[in-house]
Amino acid sequence: MQRKDSAEFTLPDRSQPSSGHFRRGPAGPSTERQGGGGRVLLSINCAAGSDMLETTHAFLSSYLNNRFRPQIAQRLSLAVYELFANGLNYGSVTSDVMLELMQSSSLISVRVENDTIPARVQMLAEHLQRIRDNAEATFLEEMRRSVSGGAPRAMLGLVRVAFEAGLPLELTVNGRRVSVSACCRD
Amino acid sequence: MSRVTSIPVPALQSVVLELTPPNLVRLSGTITSKEPDPELTAFLRALQRAVLEDAVSELRVDVSGLTFVNSAAIRVFVDMATWVQREARSAYKLRFLTNRRVTWQKTSFMALSSLARGVVVVDHVE
Repeated sequence: MQRKDSAEFTLPDRSQPSSGHFRRGPAGPSTERQGGGGRVLLSINCAAGSDMLETTHAFLSSYLNNRFRPQIAQRLSLAVYELFANGLNYGSVTSDVMLELMQSSSLISVRVENDTIPARVQMLAEHLQRIRDNAEATFLEEMRRSVSGGAPRAMLGLVRVAFEAGLPLELTVNGRRVSVSACCRD
Repeated sequence: MSRVTSIPVPALQSVVLELTPPNLVRLSGTITSKEPDPELTAFLRALQRAVLEDAVSELRVDVSGLTFVNSAAIRVFVDMATWVQREARSAYKLRFLTNRRVTWQKTSFMALSSLARGVVVVDHVE
């Protein structure tokens, strides 16, 4: 039986098409697959709700720093942290959260995929739309909300990826399976 | 005697704190814990109280060596500005010393200075 905190790390670093092709789900608010595939540099699976965020982020930050220019590594590191944090926090425990780092000829992308409940999908889609409409205003608003507290909690993570790291976010929904990705040019 | 000198500096896991009286604190490393470390927030709160008691005109917070922080940690800095804004007594300025080459620092402190105008000043040390 799998331990709650266990994770599978694979570092294939070989030509391999990115797994899966997502179609728009019945309630799918979004979108096209980003980056057109590419090879998977690294893939990590772990249980939603597990305590893998900090160790995974530390490992991936080192990896990114060794593999990419500092400016690229910093931006991807932020994306890894915030997307993976969301997946672990809001993913359903019935299936694993999957994190993938992919590279195509000109793009590097981070993708986190997890199952979740429909209400969360809706909230995520609305939040991403606000970010797409005006990332800077959303960033300021979420910072303001982080002071005032209250519910729902401020959601700074994704807008940091879009505004701070300047990485566009894409949401793909297939039933209960949600995938959020961020990509940048190499 | 400066009250700042009497504040114990906690040893934290991923972030190093250095306090240089009368008004400089330096944070370096990373902050990735889910919730802000209570020791860190208590230290910063005590420091802000001490600065107020010492009637220092500004508290310098050097974050240039803080290479990565999560969203929870950004709230720590937002809270610092809020504490100053809410202080009824004549307050001080928070001067954040940042590194332009560190992505998170550019946008977060620019936003913070706009949210807490008159309280937060941002300087680049690199």
